[in-house]
Amino acid sequence: MADRLVRQAVRDGGPWPALLATGTILATAAQLALPALIGSLVDAFAAGRPPAGSALVVGAAVALAVLGESLAVWARGMSGARASARIRQALVRHVLGAGPALTRRLPPGEIVTRAGLNAEELGRAPEAVVSALSLLVPTAGAIVALALIHPLLALALLGGVGLIVLVLRAFARVSGVLSGAYQEAQGEIAARLADALAGARTIAAARSGDRETRRILQPLPRLRAHGLALWRAGASAGVRAGLMVPLVEVAVLVAAGFLLASGRLTVGEVYAAARYAVLGAALSGALGFAGQLARARAAAARVEALLAVPAVPYGTASLPAPARGTLTFRGVRAAGLEIPALTLPGGSLTAVVGRSGAGKSLVAALAGRLADPDEGQVLLDGTPLPELSRAELRRAVGYAFERPVLVGASVAAAIELGGGRAEPAARAARADAFVRRLPHGYGTPLAQAPMSGGERQRLGLARAFAHAERLLILDDATSSLDSATEALVNEALTGELGGRTRLVVTHRPDVAARADLVVWLDGGRVRRLGPHRELWHDPGYRAAFDEEPR
Amino acid sequence: MTRPREVLWAALRRRPAVLAKIAAWSVLEVTPAFLIGHAVARAIEDGFAAGRLLTGLAWLALLGGAWLVAAVAARQVILGVAALAEPFRDDLLHHVVRGLLHEATASFRAPPPGGAALTRATLQVELARDAFAALVTVLRGFVFTLVSAALGLLTLVPALALPVLVPFALGTALFLASLPALIRAQRAHLEADEATGAELTTVAGALRDLTACGAEQSAGDRLGALVEAQAATAARLARLTALRTTALTVGGWLPVLLVLAWTPALLAQGVAIATVVGALAYVTQSLAPALGGLVEGVGVSGVRLLAALGRILAGTPAAIPPPPAARPADVTLTLRQVTFAYGPQAEPVLDRLDLEVADGEHLAITGPSGAGKSTLAALLAGALRPDAGQVLIGGLPADRVDPAARLLIPQEAYVFRGTVLENLAYPGEASEHEAEAAVAELGLAELVARCGGYQGLLDPAALSAGERQLLALTRALLSPARLIVLDEATCHLDPVAEARAEEALARRPGTLVVIAHRAASARRARRVLTLGDGAPRDRRFAREELIP
Repeated sequence: MADRLVRQAVRDGGPWPALLATGTILATAAQLALPALIGSLVDAFAAGRPPAGSALVVGAAVALAVLGESLAVWARGMSGARASARIRQALVRHVLGAGPALTRRLPPGEIVTRAGLNAEELGRAPEAVVSALSLLVPTAGAIVALALIHPLLALALLGGVGLIVLVLRAFARVSGVLSGAYQEAQGEIAARLADALAGARTIAAARSGDRETRRILQPLPRLRAHGLALWRAGASAGVRAGLMVPLVEVAVLVAAGFLLASGRLTVGEVYAAARYAVLGAALSGALGFAGQLARARAAAARVEALLAVPAVPYGTASLPAPARGTLTFRGVRAAGLEIPALTLPGGSLTAVVGRSGAGKSLVAALAGRLADPDEGQVLLDGTPLPELSRAELRRAVGYAFERPVLVGASVAAAIELGGGRAEPAARAARADAFVRRLPHGYGTPLAQAPMSGGERQRLGLARAFAHAERLLILDDATSSLDSATEALVNEALTGELGGRTRLVVTHRPDVAARADLVVWLDGGRVRRLGPHRELWHDPGYRAAFDEEPR
Repeated sequence: MTRPREVLWAALRRRPAVLAKIAAWSVLEVTPAFLIGHAVARAIEDGFAAGRLLTGLAWLALLGGAWLVAAVAARQVILGVAALAEPFRDDLLHHVVRGLLHEATASFRAPPPGGAALTRATLQVELARDAFAALVTVLRGFVFTLVSAALGLLTLVPALALPVLVPFALGTALFLASLPALIRAQRAHLEADEATGAELTTVAGALRDLTACGAEQSAGDRLGALVEAQAATAARLARLTALRTTALTVGGWLPVLLVLAWTPALLAQGVAIATVVGALAYVTQSLAPALGGLVEGVGVSGVRLLAALGRILAGTPAAIPPPPAARPADVTLTLRQVTFAYGPQAEPVLDRLDLEVADGEHLAITGPSGAGKSTLAALLAGALRPDAGQVLIGGLPADRVDPAARLLIPQEAYVFRGTVLENLAYPGEASEHEAEAAVAELGLAELVARCGGYQGLLDPAALSAGERQLLALTRALLSPARLIVLDEATCHLDPVAEARAEEALARRPGTLVVIAHRAASARRARRVLTLGDGAPRDRRFAREELIP
């Protein structure tokens, strides 16, 4: 799987890996020709013959080497850029397609590392593969050239090259394991940093910044140990490969020396043989690329975990014309929750109550397809949710959360994320007044809009109000509001937003009291169903709430 | 802002022994670069061409031996460079972490730094480390090889020194001149990279919300456009790098052509052809690879290093010593005409507020959101300073008070990867024994057991928001601070748990200020300050009013 991703990355490089190969081959071809050309030029000088055309040929070969090299450098950069971009694009679409199911598996920081750093490393796979392959050309070419000068020289080279290949294979194996451990330690530090950034206010008040820095960097010794192990592995392989090159060169030179002494080689040919020996040993340069390829493979394994969570498929159906907003649960089972049958009539207000862990948020997630049930169906106006197109579903259903994450260039854009218009929605969510106090009102960039939890919740509510045409799902979405503001929002819920079906997860009896129907959850089951005033006689039901003013 | 150059010098200077070691091994590593021309010339001229096989073999054996030593030296050089690069990486991580924490803690209400944080923390630091190692290796290699090959050439055939070294120096100069443009392109690339990382972090953190709003497509398009823009900067960088390569390979090959052009003249002067071959060996086997390495090393690694360092260090605060902290005799709170606004143009959140809270009092602060409750909490915590007026704790300005004298528990509880006990004792120290009572009192025992006891490791991701808050409240109960400020610190708790926590905190000695999340919180306090439109209302309850 990881190798499949690496191959995909090479294909994603477009024409550039091919151009990289071309440039490298051109450059190496010129470099292969040059020793022979220079050797014959030297012999011509030694013999006192005027060099004539061969000087021009040398110049042309030099030009070819320069151009090939430049092309290779260009293509290397381009293939990395192209492949990284393609991989990132695909990952981004996939991550967005998989949605919240992915966040349940991997923390956001991990998703960022994998779609960012690891995708970049994977993007360098084409460069590593092509360059490693292109390095085979000078090796092969040099052996042929040596054999042409004299077969004995080629034999001397072959022995050395065989040894280098063995060293390379051993290195690729060790390095993969080591880079994995190094990347894990990196991820750990990033996760700790994310924790501290989320707790910035506590840290600011305690002035414990220096201590937190030390805490975040606690895995540093481990990171350093893995880092040094990687260096050592690299250096050891390097020294073994570094020993092979002189062995090859000296062996070839000795052979050439004997041939020179016996008059079977010229001085120019000895020069050429020495150069070919060096070129032939260029395989040692593949060491760096082997390390890079090992990194790309380790990165591929981490990227793969992102792809393992499938994208959510959507249907193509539209909802029937009169917008009633009737929501039906039919034989639903999901992660410890069971709802055999439940219907929320169109336009009704339903409260979901229960102690923590009773499954309230899961009901909310299932109602608007932020999660799919393991069994059974959830239907909106008679259509099973998975059959609806994405646009149709989201136009019909709006969510407000306890801790909404706001996205957009400005406050207005954040409210209009799902469609609709910002201002009326903000008024309904009682957010209009504070938004107007921001430096640029609705146009204030989110980053420049300091907001409390309650203010954030109100923007989250406004966002849901703006686009939900049939069903509004409020998952504890007013918990950070002060009582006065909450009362105003509830007023809007029963008043101006009253035409839509509303599903409200709540801890508060006054909210439940206003509902047409209360779903009382206990341990993943519907314990009782009915209006608040009926359930209120049950002490167990009352215990599911708090000691709020009644 | 710390300058990249200073950081680099510090990394190099800190370990002079390692530098000396690298230099010593480098001398051994470049012996073949000095020897090669002589060995080839002598082996051919005095040895094989003259029919003296043993002499030829001896010269080649000498060269082979030098290479053996060089290979061992090369390994030591890599390890030496690693011994510089790893601490350098650690330094950079320190800078990144310190900078981001500073940014996050300085602006008390602004959202914490987002994705650029993680991009910087991982990709750029790694880039900088690799680039640093490559740069040190290459620069060192270039200098040592240049010196030893130049010495070799001068001792073998001095007449060729000029035709070889002049074009070589020209090429090097040309390359250095092209560096600024390259640095600009590299920096643009890094900035594009950060923008992508920031957007990616936003998207990863908002997957649920984006899905709920059906905004996957638009979010994907926006992020996609950034990815494309980043690819475009990478492409520009690749073009510039290729152009520079063209200029420099010319510089590497020109000396070869010049040596060949000089050859007839040299032969006429009686220089042996083997000596020319030896001189060519210096150019092709020592100087050209060294220049190639320099181009690759400085042009790629050096530029990358400078740009990455600039980005990393831009976020690092200058080390400002914190104002001297003093421990107040008591924690009487005195606010005089306190005014605070979040910006010069914004309406003030608090306007000439006066307040006096005696040591040991339990004060609740209520009011609609936006009334300035959290701002007041931040002022009491000394995390913000008033624009006008005074916030005094035991007569000392709040930002000068020893942090140990007071504890602020905000809405989003800080829980970190560490043992359960470390989390409970934060920001101080505590023994298991001391923690036990507090844990029992707030009902946290089950959580402690689930994490494997007090020494068990806590994974913040595995805790619910309510559990995090309960943990932070237990922390307050354990703390020796005489002033505890709860800023909606119970909003994720059920009211039973909230009542239990607040009551326990009210029983401990010292002052308790609660930004009330529910009406019940306010009713538990002896005194309620209501902020909001109009003048603040300050209401004291008689003891009996407290009991419903």
